[in-house]
Amino acid sequence: MLEIKPIFHALCRSKVGAILLLIQIAITTAIVSNAAFIIQDRVAFLNQDTGYPEHDIFKFNVMTFGQDVDINQQIELDETMLRSLPEVIDAAMSSSIPLSGGGSASDFSLKPAPQEGLSVRTAYFFIDDHGINTYGVNLVMGRNFSEDEVLVTNNVDKRPSVTIVSQTLLNELFPKGNGLGQTIYFGETPLKVIGVVEKMMSPWLKDSRPDNLAFIPYINAKSLAQFVVRTKPDQRDAVMKEVENLMLKNYSKRVINNIKGLDELKNQYVAADKLMMRMLIVLITILVLVTALGIFGLTLFNISKRTKQIGTRRALGARKSAIIYYFLVENAMICGVGLILGCIAALLLGQLLMQHFSIAALPPSYIAGTAIMVFVMSLLAVFGPAKRAANISPSIATRTI
Amino acid sequence: MLLHYLDLSWRSFKRTPLVSMLMVLAIAIGIGVTMTSLSVYHMMSADPIPEKSNQLYTVQLQIMDDGNTWWTKDNLPSQLTYQDAVNLQNAPIPEHKIAMMRSGFSVHIDSDIIKPFIGEARLTTPDFFSLFNLSFIYGGSWSSQQEQTAASVVVISEKLNDKLFAGKNSVGKVIYLDDLSYEVVGVIAHWQLTTKYYDLNNGAFNEPEELFLPFSLVKANEVVTWGNTNGWKHENTRTFADKLQSEKVWIQFWALLSDAKQKQAYADYLLAYMQEQQKLGRFKRKVLEYKLRDVNQWMQYNNVVSEDNKILVGLSFMFLAVCLANILGLLLAKFLRRAPEVGVRRALGASKRQVFLQHLVEVAMLGALGGLLGIVIAQVGLLAVRQSYSYYESLATMDITMLLSAPIIAITTCIVAGLYPAWLVCKTNPAIYLKSQ
Repeated sequence: MLEIKPIFHALCRSKVGAILLLIQIAITTAIVSNAAFIIQDRVAFLNQDTGYPEHDIFKFNVMTFGQDVDINQQIELDETMLRSLPEVIDAAMSSSIPLSGGGSASDFSLKPAPQEGLSVRTAYFFIDDHGINTYGVNLVMGRNFSEDEVLVTNNVDKRPSVTIVSQTLLNELFPKGNGLGQTIYFGETPLKVIGVVEKMMSPWLKDSRPDNLAFIPYINAKSLAQFVVRTKPDQRDAVMKEVENLMLKNYSKRVINNIKGLDELKNQYVAADKLMMRMLIVLITILVLVTALGIFGLTLFNISKRTKQIGTRRALGARKSAIIYYFLVENAMICGVGLILGCIAALLLGQLLMQHFSIAALPPSYIAGTAIMVFVMSLLAVFGPAKRAANISPSIATRTI
Repeated sequence: MLLHYLDLSWRSFKRTPLVSMLMVLAIAIGIGVTMTSLSVYHMMSADPIPEKSNQLYTVQLQIMDDGNTWWTKDNLPSQLTYQDAVNLQNAPIPEHKIAMMRSGFSVHIDSDIIKPFIGEARLTTPDFFSLFNLSFIYGGSWSSQQEQTAASVVVISEKLNDKLFAGKNSVGKVIYLDDLSYEVVGVIAHWQLTTKYYDLNNGAFNEPEELFLPFSLVKANEVVTWGNTNGWKHENTRTFADKLQSEKVWIQFWALLSDAKQKQAYADYLLAYMQEQQKLGRFKRKVLEYKLRDVNQWMQYNNVVSEDNKILVGLSFMFLAVCLANILGLLLAKFLRRAPEVGVRRALGASKRQVFLQHLVEVAMLGALGGLLGIVIAQVGLLAVRQSYSYYESLATMDITMLLSAPIIAITTCIVAGLYPAWLVCKTNPAIYLKSQ
């Protein structure tokens, strides 16, 4: 029944073509499985939840050069103006902006500096009691800052006393889960944890601790300040257009710039990853097509070379299905060997990438998935030419060239 | 003879247009994909200042006490503390050196038409312009006298001069940065830069700054940095004076060392400097460390070419290998079919060598066509790259080297693929084919 032996012998007579195909299939498997893994990794990174309603939030910078106002007071006025707009849910000055790639981070510790205790890298924002509402994050435990807890000062020696932190940070400092109400140290400043936010990402999605963030109620405005505004859904664009005029109307000796949505900031930060993902998708799509074309072409060539033999077989009583079957088995044999080599190559390539770059180990499921896909693709590519071969008339055997 | 072979190749191309087109397409796609990733890689890693790149060195000092670690490969901070930068700037050697940092101001002039805007600034010492080969349209750098007295002077970019002064000579004019007035002393010509190699801290492919001011203003006007400030131990830096005194790093430093002798002398000087500082209670460590890296080493150290790009280039070349295997298969099919014709040619007196060469010429022609089409595909690819990532605007382009290498790679690849089929076909025994016809 299985005609593997004669097929194998026939293959041995045209080794080069088979070997070429085998190499193609092996390399394709190696590239596609590794690229698919990297793509999947990037997709997960790009689609992660950040904790913010990104499409309703925007930021802008204020650079004040006028010397005739107290900046802290001016900022209060600006905030009041922004909050009073009907389209705006809430607004606040924020020392850094999440997802933007720029900000401040420090080690938060269980002991005051310079003593050494368990300490965790954390991004922090100086922001007032409107921060939680402006960022639209979910306060799952404890409470928001009260108005008196917000320290507005120009005196650098005054220090705030409370903080609201992200859940991941608290869990890392207090693995037992009893962090709420405890004191943590920001340098030598003790801060009591009064609230916990379920999820809020730091300015750096690629940080070693991307979801550690602390809000500290401390307002000491500088000539360069950043504002965050959350609007009602679909009304952000209107406010973004108007905000420069509104701010300059409040006080004119300053520059308003960098008016950007949170989603836009995130897109800028992840643009390189998006590009990599797209390029890899294009690469493997073309690669699979090229390989399929290669199989298709080679089968066609084999058939034209063997037209006479096929005619003879048909004349000797072989059914059409037997001819199709022949080419499918032949292809499956080449493909099978190619895939075995390909799996090994994929593993080696994966290891090479892991050694030299920050890429995790390639899970075997990706190799298996790719192998199955390549196999199916090769059968599809061979099926058309095989059907054509099956239609070769037996009478051809009786003719000379 | 070559022309004759080319003519034969073209006839052969026309005889089997489908297979020939497939081959050209396979090469073109392979070259297109490879060239797209290779061009970006090439532009990223290109030497930004070839005539001087091995004379310009950044200075890194190991300021951390024993037991502290940094995140760089060799544990060295990539910037200097303010006090070290000032000390090294005042050192007797080398002759040309620069301390600098990035900042920004709101820029305005006495005009109702031009709205105040934000301008990025670099505070640096006067050698900056000559060290990085910048040319002036008007005026020149500030003097070392002005540097020492923290004079309120500024050098602006051509673009800014166009915006503020309509491109006219603005030397002697006054602009306001934040609330202070500065006198323009020079306008530099447009600075075309693919990699911002002189300060890789905040994005390697950002635009250069547009305002340049004396470094001494940092202290005099308490100018805050817009770049990175990194600390390695707990320090109280509540005031600006604290920060100037601190062990935090935030200043970049470059030195021009023209030969190995100068480099060695400077290295010795740095060691002596650190030993001297040890007496003052700094550099509390057993082994003193420093590093001088030239421009290209510095770019490599800072991973200017990202991992992703290296992976893409690697994968693209593997892709090209698949295309090569594909072409090889098709060539085999095409050439072997032609065995009878070759048999006749051989019988008529063509030598094996001539047959071999003829087929190689044919393959090279396919390669050249594929290479040209590949350039078109690569341009489309690069356009897509630019569209999806504006940060790569000046990187995702092909320079003349890349344009030339596309056909060269294509032809080489094809000749490599064509060697075996051409050899096979030139071995054809004429007798067999003569008989059967």
